[in-house]
Amino acid sequence: MKEEFKIAWRNLWRNRRRTIITSASVFFAVFFAVIMRSYQLGTYDHMINNLIESFTGYIQVQHVKYQDNPLIDNSFDYNDSLASAISEIDKVVSVTPHLESFTLASSGTQTKGAAVIAIDPVMERNFSDPESKLVKYRITDEAVTRLKHAGAIPDNVLEKVKKNLGRSFSSSARLELELGLADEDNENCMPEILKCTEVSNGFLTANDEGILVSDRLASYLKVAIGDSVILMGQGYHGVSATGIFPVRGIIKIPSPEIDNKLIMMTIPAAQKFYDAEGKITSLVVNLTGKSDRVLKTVKAKINILLPDNNTVAKTWYELNPILYQQIQGDSQSGQAMLGLLYFIIFFGIFGTVLMMVSERKREFGVLVAIGMQKKKLKRIVTIEMIFLGAIGLVCGLLASIPLILYFYFYPIVLKGDLANMMEDWGWDAIMPTAWFGPYFYWQAVIVAFMVVLATLYPLRKIGKMKEIEALKG
Amino acid sequence: MKVLELKNVNKIYNSDEVKVHAVNDVTLDFAEAEFAAIVGPSGSGKTTLLNLIGGLDMPTSGEIIITGTNLSKLKSSQLIDFRLNNIGFVFQSYNLIPVLTAKENVEFIMTLQKWPQKERDERTFELLNAVGLGDRIDSRPSKLSGGQQQRVAVARALASRPKFVLADEPTANLDSKAATTLLEIMEKLNHEEKITFIFSTHDPRVVKMAHRVITLEDGKVVSDVKLE
Ligand SMILES: Nc1ncnc2c1ncn2[C@@H]1O[C@H](COP(=O)(O)OP(=O)(O)OP(=O)(O)O)[C@@H](O)[C@H]1O
Ligand SMILES: [Mg+2]
Repeated sequence: MKEEFKIAWRNLWRNRRRTIITSASVFFAVFFAVIMRSYQLGTYDHMINNLIESFTGYIQVQHVKYQDNPLIDNSFDYNDSLASAISEIDKVVSVTPHLESFTLASSGTQTKGAAVIAIDPVMERNFSDPESKLVKYRITDEAVTRLKHAGAIPDNVLEKVKKNLGRSFSSSARLELELGLADEDNENCMPEILKCTEVSNGFLTANDEGILVSDRLASYLKVAIGDSVILMGQGYHGVSATGIFPVRGIIKIPSPEIDNKLIMMTIPAAQKFYDAEGKITSLVVNLTGKSDRVLKTVKAKINILLPDNNTVAKTWYELNPILYQQIQGDSQSGQAMLGLLYFIIFFGIFGTVLMMVSERKREFGVLVAIGMQKKKLKRIVTIEMIFLGAIGLVCGLLASIPLILYFYFYPIVLKGDLANMMEDWGWDAIMPTAWFGPYFYWQAVIVAFMVVLATLYPLRKIGKMKEIEALKG
Repeated sequence: MKVLELKNVNKIYNSDEVKVHAVNDVTLDFAEAEFAAIVGPSGSGKTTLLNLIGGLDMPTSGEIIITGTNLSKLKSSQLIDFRLNNIGFVFQSYNLIPVLTAKENVEFIMTLQKWPQKERDERTFELLNAVGLGDRIDSRPSKLSGGQQQRVAVARALASRPKFVLADEPTANLDSKAATTLLEIMEKLNHEEKITFIFSTHDPRVVKMAHRVITLEDGKVVSDVKLE
């Protein structure tokens, strides 16, 4: 074997340039494939994490008909023992009940359709955490006047503040970001700006009868904390639901669409309002892992705990089939592109092999003529091919590791419309890479497969070779 | 003792609608330590005959027996091993493995035969010295002249002490001085090692040095002269 390795290794460097070009093509293919795939998967992950962890959850328990027909009629009986039983399941990190429906909200002469999400204020902290979305700062005319009177604020800063008139913010960081002041101004003026724009706000207590209203909806309805909103809708089994609810707090939802229509209240208040005693519409379950296997096992375990066939557990991709299909479609087109890349590289390798075989026909003939078994010759050629593939593969993988690591921990920060949109949704506008996983090792499998495929040709040639013909050259 | 016997060997090529009787009813035998030249005009069948003797090609009819073994009875992989252990080859050109040094090329057959390293080394030095290349052991073929390459090829052919060495026009690509040197070395080794050499040639000066001259014409042996 040693002899074979020696000859194969030296043969590899016989045509140095060709070996380098072939290895380099494998190197670049592997490198690009890994980086591209890592970004792709990382971005999906990021999207899924954001969407899932604060909107749908990984798994939801729902009435079977709820997904197609999200009515209060399609709710199910809920008690705390179900939630605690589910939270006992391995990998479950949070279980959050929701009762969701639509109503009309009105105040004075203003009326608007609103989405009502009833929550458990304590449990919800582990999920969408509405408390962190309470409006803390608001730029009003009054606030601007106050700022002006405070003096100390340069005109250009005041201009910037005025540009954001009417906007509200749930954190000082967000306000700072939106104003986009120069570092120096930021340091000097921020404390004063924060002081002048700060507003008081409130939250729901456990059995609160009040509501939280999203910022845009509140300004449409012209309500503030302490005012009341009349809600009118359809309750359980067609009863009409009407109630008057005091506004406890204003929340700022990054997505303008949702900010236009969201009302939150406690589950007991909602159950009373809809006349749906003891019922909820969904139980949102979050997990530590999100592999298919984990999702499936947890889902199965939850289904066992459910009392009847009218309630079922659904995974995030059953709940978001369109998003799931989009990701799948995008992922497949990414894979198709890599497939094309590898296809081209394969022909590069194959071309090298073709030339190698035709150049060395005579040499193969001499080797077999003087007594080398074809089997041994085949082994040498195979080792050469493995070297050829392995050099590019190993270098490509090694070169991609630091990049993946770096951009995993320090992801690219996106700018522009896409970034704004993502931030509006409350996501980090970043493009992280995916941690090493099967996609990484698969490159090795693909390259190995290509090498095997390309090696078949010389092996077949050697097998069929007639010594005298080969010797003629 | 006979190392090689040919009995009524025929080789007929049937390609391109023309039937070529390349080797026609050849019966010959070779003893130990012969130094035989096969001569004849171009197309007379020299290469074909040597290929048959070397087990690189199969006769259409007749028998080739090497120290008791009938070549046509061997399977192709057995034939390769048989060649490895019994026959040395020197081809017209590009004999050597380009990635191996002179020493490694000579060693190559012994390596295939799994000789211990020490014996391999001894034999290699002995032969490379004998062919006058003791100082070029680490040169790759591309760094050697054509004549030097052929000398390495002769050393390799002899390395594992085969029954005989076949050489098809070993001097065809050499100038006359290099050709004479090569032949002198072959003759010396033939004498020292008692190994039969069978070589084909066009070169009258080479023919002059042979101890036996077999002349072919249209595939037939027309004369077989032993000179002593
Ligand atoms: N593979 C083949 N197919 C058909 N005919 C062949 C084949 N090989 C050789 N021949 C024919 O057999 C005859 C003998 O050829 P061979 O090569 O043995 O001659 P040679 O004596 O070696 O000639 P030269 O001195 O030119 O090398 C020629 O007529 C040649 O055309
Ligand atoms: Mg010839």
